[in-house]
Amino acid sequence: MRTRKRDEVKCTLGGNEVLSHISRLYGAEATEAVKGYTPMYCSGSFTEVYLVKPQLVEAVEAVLRSGRIPYFAGMYCGRLRSAKPEFIPSHVLVERIYEFLGHPIRAVKAIEQGIKVILYGRDLLAESVASCFEPVELGEVVSVIGPDGYVYAIGLSTTSSCEEIAKLRKKDVVVRSVFDLGWYLRGGTVPREAKYKL
Amino acid sequence: MKAVSERARAIASKFGFLEYMVVRYHEIFGDWSEVTELLEAFEKPLVKAIRINTLRFKSVGEVLERLEKLGYELSKIPWDRSSYIVVRAGRVSLGATHEFLLGGYYLYRGVASLIPPLALSPSKLDRVLDSAAAPGGKTTHLAQLMDNEGLIVATDISRERFRAFRTNLERMGVENVVAIRVDSRRIPEIFGEYFTKSLLDAPCTGEGIIQLDPSRKTKTSFEDLVRAHKKQVELLMATIRATAPGGRVVYSTCSIAPEENEFTIAEVLESLSNVRVVRTSTAVDFEPGVTEYFGVELPEQLKLCGRTYPHKHGFEGFFVCVLEKEMK
Repeated sequence: MRTRKRDEVKCTLGGNEVLSHISRLYGAEATEAVKGYTPMYCSGSFTEVYLVKPQLVEAVEAVLRSGRIPYFAGMYCGRLRSAKPEFIPSHVLVERIYEFLGHPIRAVKAIEQGIKVILYGRDLLAESVASCFEPVELGEVVSVIGPDGYVYAIGLSTTSSCEEIAKLRKKDVVVRSVFDLGWYLRGGTVPREAKYKL
Repeated sequence: MKAVSERARAIASKFGFLEYMVVRYHEIFGDWSEVTELLEAFEKPLVKAIRINTLRFKSVGEVLERLEKLGYELSKIPWDRSSYIVVRAGRVSLGATHEFLLGGYYLYRGVASLIPPLALSPSKLDRVLDSAAAPGGKTTHLAQLMDNEGLIVATDISRERFRAFRTNLERMGVENVVAIRVDSRRIPEIFGEYFTKSLLDAPCTGEGIIQLDPSRKTKTSFEDLVRAHKKQVELLMATIRATAPGGRVVYSTCSIAPEENEFTIAEVLESLSNVRVVRTSTAVDFEPGVTEYFGVELPEQLKLCGRTYPHKHGFEGFFVCVLEKEMK
């Protein structure tokens, strides 16, 4: 398989693909949280999605016309993939949706010790789960929320419901970490992709 | 001249500086005791500062409270409403707290970097150009001042610095930035005279931040200064060309070298008749720009530029100047 180079990244403005993923995961109402934003898709070895405010569109178009690509534009929305999970939302997007909905969904709330562990890139264990917010699906994205209500990580669920978590042993993995805020200290983007598999 | 040279040699030797640098400091201050005060101040460590990010946390108080619980003691910087000096460190390093990872604040090695965005003073309606922007302290500050509205186009050429830049934009919850990895001198080709306000915190020799890197006492030759000056002129010319008539440009460096500051502005003023210097209005009590240097007289309007010195201001040596482009 050929690995694409960064130079081969192509960006396009517009298209509703990411909105359909947001709707599928968080409900149609959640798309209202990003109403008015234009998606920008940048595809290389994977597709990164940004949500661009109206006042940024003219500048993005000027950059694209010049034959360049924006390195970052607007709000980082997440990553599209061809295999499941087809969309990994950014923690910023998820927080925006929770704020709009007024409550979290597809999430587990962790105790402080669990947050400390997950910020090292490790998985969340059953013993660190304080509460769970349905729906939770096997192999789909789930947010890890701290005791303070902020999203600290996005991962993949190893269970099909919140009820199943209660039946797990203490050391069983509940959320396989894909992205955690500790990544801002550790750096790197490509290695993340290898973790999107259960 | 011989007396100057001998005194300069002695002071340079005492503090470990190149002699030509000390001679220049005497030319700026005209007083050996002040030169000595400056060099003594360069020996003291800089105070760290944080800017609390209201784009991610609704209130400054929430972040302060969380940091105080970690054992931090912070003191308000009087000239910026969201920034604090770190008086006492807490149990967890400032670059590794949950609050840092959540984008609750930006960490500065010195407070002078807060000045350029305040001098530009952008509003929610502005289209801002931030040249040589990575790793993003100023860009994220501009976004905060604009409450994530308006537009910031941020450019930098370094791939390595851009990675850190992207991380900072994402961590700090910035939504009004379009970031491009490009030589900032190419920006007018892409945008024309598009921006209402522009910031160029120019790459420089770092002659104001010797506290952070003592090797700067000896590593910059006069030829290096000339090279830096040439690039700064090119970058500033491009930044002005990308700014709309009636727009403002802030030029700054973390250097106290007139060659990188007043001489850069003077060369641009000589080339462009539609640009003038206006007073730098922030709450910082600046020293005026240099207008006479080794017998060279520079335009009087350069006095309106601002300088800071470690022995006078208690933080880095810094230069900032606000330019206004005339309406057509």
